[in-house]
Amino acid sequence: MLLSRVADSLFWGSRYLERAQDTARIVRSFTELVIDMPTSAMSSWEPLLAVTGTRVDFDERHDTVDEMHIVRHLIADTANPSSVITCVANARENLRTTREVLPREAWQTVNDLHLYVGANAAGGVARRSRARFLGRVISDSQQLDGVMTTIMNRDEAYEFWRLGESIERADMTTRVVGVRAAALLAEGWAQLPEDGQTVAEVHDDVQWMGLLRSVSALQMYQRVTRGPIDGAGAVRFLLLEPQFPRSVASCANRMREALTRLPRSKHTLPAVDQLDVVLAGLQARADDGASLDAAMDELQLALAEINVAVVDAFVRSDH
Amino acid sequence: MAHVRAQVDTWDELVAADGTPRPAAAALLAQLEALEHAELQERQTLAEIDILTMGITFTVYSDGKGIDRAWPFDIIPRVIAASEWRRIELGLKQRLGAINQFIDDLYHDQKIIRDGVFPADLLEHSVNFRPECVGVDPAFGVWAHISGSDLVRDADGTMYVLEDNLRVPSGVSYVLENRAISKRVFADLFAQQSILPVDSYTDELNRMLVSIAPDGISNPTIAVLTPGIYNSAYFEHSFLAQRLGAALVEGADLVVGEDDCVYMRTIGGRERVHVIYRRIDDLYLDPEAFLPDSTLGVPGLMRAWRAGTVAIANAPGAGVADDKVVYAWVPDIIRYYTGEEPLIPNVPTYRCVYPDEMNYVIEHIDQLVVKPANESGGYGLLIGDRATRSELDSHIALIEADPRNWVAQPILSLSTVPTLCDGEIEPRHVDLRPFILSGATSYVSAGGLTRVALRKGSLIVNSSQGGGSKDTWIVEAD
Repeated sequence: MLLSRVADSLFWGSRYLERAQDTARIVRSFTELVIDMPTSAMSSWEPLLAVTGTRVDFDERHDTVDEMHIVRHLIADTANPSSVITCVANARENLRTTREVLPREAWQTVNDLHLYVGANAAGGVARRSRARFLGRVISDSQQLDGVMTTIMNRDEAYEFWRLGESIERADMTTRVVGVRAAALLAEGWAQLPEDGQTVAEVHDDVQWMGLLRSVSALQMYQRVTRGPIDGAGAVRFLLLEPQFPRSVASCANRMREALTRLPRSKHTLPAVDQLDVVLAGLQARADDGASLDAAMDELQLALAEINVAVVDAFVRSDH
Repeated sequence: MAHVRAQVDTWDELVAADGTPRPAAAALLAQLEALEHAELQERQTLAEIDILTMGITFTVYSDGKGIDRAWPFDIIPRVIAASEWRRIELGLKQRLGAINQFIDDLYHDQKIIRDGVFPADLLEHSVNFRPECVGVDPAFGVWAHISGSDLVRDADGTMYVLEDNLRVPSGVSYVLENRAISKRVFADLFAQQSILPVDSYTDELNRMLVSIAPDGISNPTIAVLTPGIYNSAYFEHSFLAQRLGAALVEGADLVVGEDDCVYMRTIGGRERVHVIYRRIDDLYLDPEAFLPDSTLGVPGLMRAWRAGTVAIANAPGAGVADDKVVYAWVPDIIRYYTGEEPLIPNVPTYRCVYPDEMNYVIEHIDQLVVKPANESGGYGLLIGDRATRSELDSHIALIEADPRNWVAQPILSLSTVPTLCDGEIEPRHVDLRPFILSGATSYVSAGGLTRVALRKGSLIVNSSQGGGSKDTWIVEAD
């Protein structure tokens, strides 16, 4: 049976790695989006600070709010607790104490990623090398996922890994939806001076494409819907689509699976039930920006409750 | 072409004094000589990259912080002929068999003292004798289940046991990792000749740990007890737990119940542990029995062990025979318990606890290696012919203040192995730590950890002090 301390480290190792990967996806897709847009249309990188929830931390340490500062903060700043470089280092520190339960190749992949990120994060800030750097963070994470899927026993350690990953992934998807989809729906973008149209109207589809891409959902969305992108549809897809593995509903299913297979599920599953209740209420709210933003806060609270339930059931309790 | 030569006045493990290869190393030397310097250097670089990406590390301390460092490895292996190795193996089994009988005797009838072979006052002053262990009967009468005896070879080719590490010897994980790397570096040589594999060690370890489980437990739960991630050997603790399929536990993960059984805290509640492979020193094992403020240990562990609900390897108190003073008696111990002559000799050792030997040491200190009796890791060691007068004097003062804590030995020249140093191949001094497992039967690792002093002329091989390592090949020479 898995040690509580090891379960805790696995859980956090998995969360940190997923956060690194998600941050990499978001920065990558946002960069592509900005490059696609006319220069005047979108100059602000601030939504990235909002999505990653690091606005306050950033403002405390920076006077200049521009692309370079924000991207450095998100990928290469060791003082930012949720930058790619910090998350990968934290993942490695946590997984260093769980090597005996992980496949050897899993540790090597994490270690390798850590070495790569340490050596290349600063250089990955510049636009010309950014895609390559972020791509490597994402592909190494996927390699790790492949290692776990193909050679790891479906034991308790595996379930803890999946649990951490799905909570973090759901959390990041709700942030993306809460910040960017809500803003898009509220048409809160700068007015173009000539004709009074909003940027959002002009480049609506491009913006929504960027949004979907930031959770690597664009292609899968298009396969399911087979039509032009519509905002509410994209939001429903990201939150509720059972076929898409990064949707919040899919993540919730995986949490339920993992917790059902782990001991003490009667203490932990009620928190997932609560998440499902919030998700069920979302259908109707998907096309209203303000309501969506609030709904995402509710989802995040539900996710935080699951985290608390896991820690209480497996780590803190002295049975 | 790489040119390999030996150093005068020392024994080289690969090259004879006349410059010809030793038979077991002939294939290796032919390969080395055929490689350009640049190719050799490239293989070294690739090996270092492998070590880095495989996360093979050890921890060093600097400014109170532990830093995770890449494991230092030299690609040129040390080669030992299988015929010689078989004798060493027998010698080590003989030695550890006798040492285990000695420990068991000390904690029971003390026959060896009553028979006048081992001095009673030595035991009285031993810092490693644990009265708490008196009368305990570990399985098979074995106390030192896992030991690592350091071997060195002098200029005339004689192999000596330099010391016995019976408490928590480390290094075996690097034996296995070095081999994994070495197989990549010299894949063709492994195909061409018969080199004994090292991988079975962990399986043998597993078998031994299962064999010492409390009575009636056939499928025991095994845990490796580590002081934690900041310990210099944490990598190894984790590695061994992985290979054993055991839980890697810290003291706080374990609890001793009212029933005197040991449990680990799991996500499903408490689970009984039957065998603990501990990598924590005696005094930190159990704050109820030893150091009360130890946070590394498990309160009540000694109680559980004495009650026989859990086996601990190495047994608490086994360190009584791991002491540079006791070391001097090991040849007598072997004769006493086995009736045989030691197959591997001891290095002559002067024991400062005896005034005449202390006087000899003080008079000849510039020709001796002076060692504290109870330190590991090379700390406090003085090599007389390389020390300044004031260093010698300050050691003399230390010896006079606490004679029992010091022993001295003649300065052995330590054999060399050709080593890649800044692109050149140069002889560097080595020692060898084989690992011996003792349980129902005994087992010796195929070779062991060859440690190498990377600085020219240096005799200090500890990785904590700038030493490196090499793979060790036991080769069947035809």
